[in-house]
Amino acid sequence: MKALFLGNVAADTANGIKAELPPGLGVEILPDPQQLLQSPEGAANADILVSNHWRAEYPPAPSLRLVQSVATGIDLIDLAALPRGVAICNAFGHETAIAEYIIMTWLALHHSFMEISGEFREHGSWRTSWVESGAPHGEVRGSTLGIVGYGRVGREVAHRAAGFGARILAANRTAREDGTGVERVYPLAELDRMLPQCDTVALCTALGPETTGLIDARRLSLMKPTAFLINIARGRVIDEDAVYAALRDRTIGGAALDVWWQYPTADEPEQRGSRYPFHELPNVIVTPHNSGWTSGMVRRRWDEIAENIRRFMRGESLMNIVTRT
Amino acid sequence: MKTLFLGGLAARVAPRVIGKMTEKPDAALLADLTDMQRLMPALVEAEIVVGHIWRPDFPEAPRLKLLQAATAGVDMVDLPSLPRGITLCNVFGHEPAIAEYVMMSTLALTLRLFETVTDFRNGSWAAHQPAGGSPHGEIFGKTLGILGYGRIGREVAKRGVGFGCKVVAANRSPIADKGDASEIYPLAELDRMLPQCDVLLIAAGLAPETRGLIDARRLSLMKPTALLINIGRAAIADEAALYSALSANRLGGAALDVWWQHWSPENPDRRPSRFPFHELPNVLMTPHCSGFTEGTADRRWGDLAANLDRFARGEPLANVVITT
Repeated sequence: MKALFLGNVAADTANGIKAELPPGLGVEILPDPQQLLQSPEGAANADILVSNHWRAEYPPAPSLRLVQSVATGIDLIDLAALPRGVAICNAFGHETAIAEYIIMTWLALHHSFMEISGEFREHGSWRTSWVESGAPHGEVRGSTLGIVGYGRVGREVAHRAAGFGARILAANRTAREDGTGVERVYPLAELDRMLPQCDTVALCTALGPETTGLIDARRLSLMKPTAFLINIARGRVIDEDAVYAALRDRTIGGAALDVWWQYPTADEPEQRGSRYPFHELPNVIVTPHNSGWTSGMVRRRWDEIAENIRRFMRGESLMNIVTRT
Repeated sequence: MKTLFLGGLAARVAPRVIGKMTEKPDAALLADLTDMQRLMPALVEAEIVVGHIWRPDFPEAPRLKLLQAATAGVDMVDLPSLPRGITLCNVFGHEPAIAEYVMMSTLALTLRLFETVTDFRNGSWAAHQPAGGSPHGEIFGKTLGILGYGRIGREVAKRGVGFGCKVVAANRSPIADKGDASEIYPLAELDRMLPQCDVLLIAAGLAPETRGLIDARRLSLMKPTALLINIGRAAIADEAALYSALSANRLGGAALDVWWQHWSPENPDRRPSRFPFHELPNVLMTPHCSGFTEGTADRRWGDLAANLDRFARGEPLANVVITT
């Protein structure tokens, strides 16, 4: 049996879990996907593909039975380019890390943290000091947090946010029982009823037909003019033009964006995440899609991937099956 | 009831406090504590003083019964020079805001928020996983040590356990109800707690037992990766020793909201320390504003007004610190 680890992240995974894989498994590691085009035999006899992507132009992989994604999102895996009968599994372990990121930015936006500490560090400004006459900042206690996509990440966020005395709402594609501390879970079709109540909207949903462009100009206009938007899902869940305009014109209060509409490529390694200069807006916290990228996540995710490969080889039922081709 | 709102802070918030009172006072406002011409007659009449400062050189206050601080800390009240029979009360309402600040700054240091945002604003994807960036940390599973397990400490503990942190604490007086902490050390055993902490929160009041408590020796007991968060009072930490530990990376980082020196009208942009903490990349700094939220103001001025009403009606007071 042979496993092909394709791409940077998969190569790191292979090195991290090598010792835990059964001895009967042949392991081929191609950190640079270009190598696959040059040596198509890498794909020809692979039973397992571990990667974050698969493209139509890749050589045929007729023996594949398991595609183990190294990420949660499988939107870069071209399912139509895979043979029939392949199980596609994803990986988690990032919920803890991303929940911490969401709570951090939720707090930082309410507390004007980056602005206040920046002024104090750069200019010695005491403008916002307690005993001076500055305007107070906000707090999350008593505010309303709306979580769009109430899956693993959303639940971890709700669990932590409950300790802060916030009111928590959620919206989800499929019906969910109300979880810890969540006042109500709306069906996604009723998102418009949730948005006007929220002081913060955190997008934790997968990218799919129902969620592409979900937060468009009309829905942004349903939000409070002071509301914050946090996106750790995928860039395209939000309409790029509409959200840039809303943040620039302050028709919403601010945002924390970890995911983008465009990414660096081999040709353009410094390409910005958007056609618009979000990085110039003072009310936007920008990070390079690294909210889940912690050493703890890596360890948990490697453990899950190694376990799924062992299960596959023993013919046991797999974890985290997203779909089958 | 003759009530004097004394000092800049009290004078500024007086309208808001009075607005929340049901027993309307006979109020006077005096912002400038050095204006002896006005201070003398004002103190002769006052039955209640609202303010957080009492100096040894203050004129006599023969009718004074209640000194209601407009702050939680009463370290600027010179107790020996207060007349006999005065009740000193303080006021809270800032605990949720400060607990939020503590979790926020702990997360920001651990997740490297500021460096990541600055680099990304400058166009660098270095922290992106496929670009080969190194991963950041998590607070999940970390040990959070709280020095001074009072109202703020308990609010922090409650939030900390939600993140999967282990919470330990050290306190001057014995604690009957541990709340969300798994262990409480007496202050004399602080040295046993420090080596365990991934994060040390200073949430104590300034008192003889806490002044200079976090000195060079105790800093050296901490992990070299540990974070220090100070929202208590600056003087609890030794200024030179802390700067030295942070600049030599013998500590992982710090978030400091309280300072050893403050601005003055002549020097409005005065740096908050003799040492250039603002040049250290592992330090987050804010100008003593962690508790200064709209929510705190609402809770605090409401509580203060309620205490003045109680006094006017002869009811027992809340938040009594001491009666002289």
